[in-house]
Formats: sequence, C-alpha cells, structure tokens
Amino acid sequence: MRPARGEGPERAVSAALRAPLGTLVKVLPALLLVTLALVGPWIAPHAIDTPVTAPYAAPVGDAPLGGDQLGRDVLSRLLAGGRELVLSSLLVAVLVTGTAAVLGAVGAVRPWVGRLVERTADVLMLLPAVLGILLVTLSWPGGGRLAVVAAAVVLGVPYAVRLAGGAAAPIAATGYVEAAAAGGERLRYLVVREILPNLRSTLLALFGLRFVAAVYLVATAGFLQVGPQPPAADWALMIRENSAGILLNPWAVVAPSAAVGLLALSVNLAASALAPQTGRKAVTVL
Amino acid sequence: MSHSHDRYAKPQGPPDGTPVVIVRGLTVTAQDGRLLLRDAALTLRPGRLTALTGPSGAGKTTLLRAVTGLLPPGTHRTAGQIDVLGQDVLALPERDLRTMRGRHLAYVGQDPGSGLNPRMRVRSLVRELAVDKSSDIVGALLAEVRLPDDGRLAARRPGALSGGQQRRVALARALARRPKILLLDEPTAGLHPGLRDEVAELLGHLAREHRLAVAFSCHDPEVVERFADDVVVLDAPVPRPRTRVTGGVPAPCGEADGPPVLEVRDLHVEFGDAPVLTGVGLRVAPGSVEGIVGVSGSGKTTLARAVVGLQRAASGAVHLSGTQVRTGPRGRTREQRRQVQLVTQNPLGALNPSRTIGAAVGRPLRLHRRCAARHVSERVADLLEQVGLPPAFADRYPHELSGGQRQRAAVARALAADPEVLICDEITSALDPDTGAAIMDLLAGLRERRGMTVVLISHDLRLVADRTDTVTVLDAGRVVESGPTAEVFAAPEHAATRALLGMPTAVRRS
Repeated sequence: MRPARGEGPERAVSAALRAPLGTLVKVLPALLLVTLALVGPWIAPHAIDTPVTAPYAAPVGDAPLGGDQLGRDVLSRLLAGGRELVLSSLLVAVLVTGTAAVLGAVGAVRPWVGRLVERTADVLMLLPAVLGILLVTLSWPGGGRLAVVAAAVVLGVPYAVRLAGGAAAPIAATGYVEAAAAGGERLRYLVVREILPNLRSTLLALFGLRFVAAVYLVATAGFLQVGPQPPAADWALMIRENSAGILLNPWAVVAPSAAVGLLALSVNLAASALAPQTGRKAVTVL
Repeated sequence: MSHSHDRYAKPQGPPDGTPVVIVRGLTVTAQDGRLLLRDAALTLRPGRLTALTGPSGAGKTTLLRAVTGLLPPGTHRTAGQIDVLGQDVLALPERDLRTMRGRHLAYVGQDPGSGLNPRMRVRSLVRELAVDKSSDIVGALLAEVRLPDDGRLAARRPGALSGGQQRRVALARALARRPKILLLDEPTAGLHPGLRDEVAELLGHLAREHRLAVAFSCHDPEVVERFADDVVVLDAPVPRPRTRVTGGVPAPCGEADGPPVLEVRDLHVEFGDAPVLTGVGLRVAPGSVEGIVGVSGSGKTTLARAVVGLQRAASGAVHLSGTQVRTGPRGRTREQRRQVQLVTQNPLGALNPSRTIGAAVGRPLRLHRRCAARHVSERVADLLEQVGLPPAFADRYPHELSGGQRQRAAVARALAADPEVLICDEITSALDPDTGAAIMDLLAGLRERRGMTVVLISHDLRLVADRTDTVTVLDAGRVVESGPTAEVFAAPEHAATRALLGMPTAVRRS
C-alpha cells in the first residue's frame, strides 16, 4: 500500500528540518552524548587495558582524569565504556516502547486481547527487576549482553503496556477510529495509521522513561558483573571497580556516574522536545 | 439572610448598560498567514442575549475563544482589542486570566460532551464547580437547565446521557460558577425544535433574570431572529467556496416495489441492563430518503450504529441488499462495510487529527478501489468541491478547519466509498442553512444519478418534511409510528410524534 501524499518519513524529516531552534537545542545534548559514546572507542587516547599512571593517580597532563585502580587512563576507559551501555539501553527502550505501543493499541481495538495483555502484565509485574535479571542471566550464562537486553525487555513491557493501553483506549473510542472500523479497515491499519500517530507524545514520553529504566537496569547488571567482564571498559563496571579509591582519585568514579546521569537526562529532554505540539489534536478548551 | 429561591445571587457587576465585553477590529491570523477572523467587533452587555451568526468558517468559534483569552494554538491576534471587564484578556498574565475564567467567564464549547470527564457522575460534575455547596444545589442547577433529576440522572455518567442531555449538563456546570459572562458555541445545534426553543428561551431567561451577558454562536436564522437581543453577523474572511445549488427538491422516487436495500427486523440493543432499542424495525426502499426522528435519547444514534456495524445487538437482524449482516464490530466483509456509510453527529472527533483532509477523503477511494491510484488526488479535489470545500483544503489538518467545514469533509469521506446507503446523523446541525441546503441538494443529486439511499437522522423537522419520502418516529427505543412523511406529519397518530411536531397532545385519561 502506497502511503498517501504528504505522509511518511519524508514529511517527518522535512518537519525536523523546519523545527524551531528551541527543539534543536534540546535534542542536541542527547545527540552529542550518544555520538560521543558510539565513536568513543576509536578516539580514546590510550589503550584501555595498559597502565599509563600509578593506581588512582590524580589527573595529570597525559591523563586528564587520572588513573584507575590499575593505573589505566580513566578518560580512555570512559570514552570506550559507553558504547555498549548506550546501544543496549536504546535497544531496550525501543523494543519495550514499540511492543507496548502495538500491544496497547491492539488491546484498545480488540477488548479481549486487551484483557489478556493486562492480566499477563499484572502477573509479570510481580517479579522484581533485579531478581529477574539475575534469573535470566544465571539460567543463560553464555547470553552476556543479549541476556541482559532480553531480561530488560521482558521486565519493562508490562509497565509500559499499561500506560500505552490506557492512552490508546480513548483514541480507539473516537469518531475517526470508529469511522475507519465501520469503513472496513483491517486491524493493522487501525493500529498503525489511526491510533499510533495520535499517541506520539505519550509514546515519546514513555520512550524517555523506559530509556532511563533501561540504563538503570543495564548499569545494575554491569555493577553486579552480569554482562561485561573485566578488563572490558564499562561505565557501570568502572564505578564498581574504582569505588575503593574514590578518595584518591574521585574522577574515576564521578566521571562514569556523571556520564550515566547526563545520558538519562539528555535523552529525556530530547524525547519531550520531539513530542508534537497540541495543534493536531482535536482541541477542546475549558 | 433569607434563603433565596434564586440560586444565582445577582453578580455585583457594573451597572446595567455598561458593556462587559468590547471587541474592536479584531483580526486573527494562523501561522501560515490565513485569516481566521477579520476586523470583528462585538459588544456584550449584562442582561442581553447576543447571537453571532455567519457561514461556517466565518470565525464564530474563534471570536468566542478570543473573548476567553484562549486563541486556538498556532493562531495569534494581528490587530484589534479585546476588553473583558476592563482588561485586555490576550495581554493578561496566565494567573489573572485563570482567575477571570474561573470567576467571571464561562464557555460551553461546540462539543460539550467531550468536556465532561467520562468517569464522573453528573452529580459530581455539577457540584465540582458550584460556588454554592449546599446539598440541593445539583438538583436546583439541573432544574434550571430544564433537566429535572428523576433520581437516577444525577447518578449517571456522561456516556449514559444523550447528546442533548450532555449539552445541558455542560450548561449547568457553566452556571454553577455564577459567571458574569456566558459564551456558548452552537448551543442549539442538533436539538429538536422543542428543545432548541427551550434552550434558547433558557438563555434569554438567564440573561434577563441573572443579569448575565450571554453570547452564543448560531447558524439557525429562526433562533437568532426570535430570541436574540443583539445580532453580530460575521462574514467569511476568505471568499465563500462555490456551492452548487440545484433548483427545487427532486421528485421522490415513490414507493419502490423492489426488495428493501436496508431492512432492520426486531432489533434489541442493551447497554448493560438498560434497554436502548426494543424491537425496532425499519424498511428502506432503494433510492429513497428515510427520515428518523425522535427526541434526544430515543435511540436514533444507537440504531444508526447497529446498522453500520459498530454496536452489537442483543437480538434481531440487519439486512443489507437482502443479505443478513452482523451488527457488532466484527464479521462483516469489506464490501458489506462499503455499502453503508455513516456520517456522525460530532464533526470535531470525526477526522483523525494526524492526517490531512486529503488523506482522510482519499483513503476509502484506495481501500475500496473506487478509482485508479493516479486519479485519487483529482477525485479527492472533486469530492471536496462537491461538498463545498476548496480543493486546497486537501493539504490541511482537521484542526485548521471549522466545525462546519469538518462536517463537510466527513461527508466527502463517506461519499468517497460510493455507498449504497448513506446514514446522516444530524449532519446539517453544524452547518449554516445555505451550506446545509447545498449538502442536501448534493445528496439528492447522488440519489437521482446513482440510486443512493439516504437515511436522515435529524431534529430539524422542516428538513425531514422537505427532504424525506418516509419517516420513522422513535420514542424511548421503540418505533411508535412510520410511513410516508407527508402522511405522518399531516396526521400524527402517536403522542410522541405530536409532541415533536409541537402539536397539543391528545389527552386521553380514564
């Protein structure tokens, strides 16, 4: 099926190009940080596994953030240690938001699916996230990063689907969705073209939330040494390894912690800036 | 202090005759430079009922919203002044504006039902905003809007009210704050004549008794002439689109002998335990125009929804062109769905806010393969022109259209599917008389050329009398009378029909 004129990705891209400066300013930090994390391993000044200073050395000219517990360059490890975390978290957030959006929208159009999804979500929500991660990764020891991502998705969807389902329900009851259903549209069209586009702002907010939750989960897994293993560079692993020397070289702990925090903040800022203005809603006031 | 029967202590407003709202030379422009309102003027005085009229798209809603200090998103004032109780509302800080809207200004929108929280009961909806918190305030306010509480109504939620009842609950909510200025957007649209006059009289009563300055937009010249003290006529800021006006009403096709294109037999619909339709039957001959009338809450819309397959029936059957079809949302073929199209009562929610008008109207053309893919945009332009919209509207989003224009776009979308039966639920109630007549002429023309059957649900009895061959009268979910329109209207037999027509009801008491 050919998309109608004026729809689809071209329009989204052209809208982004015409976006006001304010939006650009809010999206920029997230873009920069994610890009830096992705290209970091290539621009790191030193190798991540060879000592260049004394253990927990204070910052010097050659190592601006000092050394870690084995005297390795903290800056290089910081640059190299973000890629996996960012990629895993983005992947988890996209999968969780996408699955929840589709399940929620389908549930809103087909009530029996909605009830089934809701009951299943209720049961899964009883499982604490960290326990779930441990269960999945211990029962699948060779899974590594993939096991962490799988666990984070399974544990994240139940929360997200309740939100998405709740937001989709009133849209499924609007005149235009009914008109489309009465006009003979299939479920797929109702969900993809009629409901999801009107959930954009909710879904973007949800994406931001799920990204933070994913960073938290992936970092927790790293901290528990489920996933990346030494000597790999990883922000969560760095916090754990260097916590003993925090008084000698605070940067070895503060820098990766700040990176995790900034990442979560900036992605949320970008998500809320990208949410559409209220103009295309059926406006009712007062 | 005596317990006055009057629930609205007279506002300590300015002395009579002093205008409370003065709008001068107001021009409102959208971001792309389109004019929504040009050089509009409006003066509201306490105790007077002011009507705003003009063709759809003339800026009636924009002017009312400007007085509340809330212009539609993406639009701004380019010239003029709005003075409400001595203050320029568009320059007022958010906080003061909120105080003013909370205390002095009340606005009831075109679709008041959507402003009611669906999870709250009528009782809480009205009490929530009431200045007077006494226990009988809800009953008093509901009685004031002529919605007497029968003991159950106050316990219902908005979903269990008819469109007319929702409108009056919204009005009661507006009055609960004891405003000085009451603004209403199309308060009489879609009401049957008795109720329409009642609401209009009620507004006049509120204005005079409680010294309210009342402004309402209205496209019904009769209401404006009979009830309004002052009239403000707005012209369309852009030249009116060409509307095709054919002369006269085409002759009815008469009693067709063939099998009915639409037949409903013994239909029962229940909401929970409450029966909404009880044993409803309907036979519509191909190429005819059938009218369905009844007071609000009599089940007209539910019947339409069951026919198009949106409302599951408890029992009974719907036949389309001789084939029995399901009433629920599942189990109809795409072709069966194409055959019957519905244009709904509420034009504001009828179009997807994320899609352009062109995409919405073009979709049934593609879905039902009504024309080759490369001709879709031409056909869309053609359909838009037929309903009196400029073809350039294809690139606009629904929020850039007025209520009446959206209604016409919804009609164009229904026509795009090329249906055998078109069900129109109060489609002219949001339109000015000229556009309404043009749309009805268009439908009459399609009926003649294509043999399309039209089912017209309306409160406008004159429209039904002029435009339909046969009529069915619903009352409390039952068919009380049906037959050729002229006969039913000339000699109504049932009390409900007589009441609708405004005739004295035959009193038969033992």
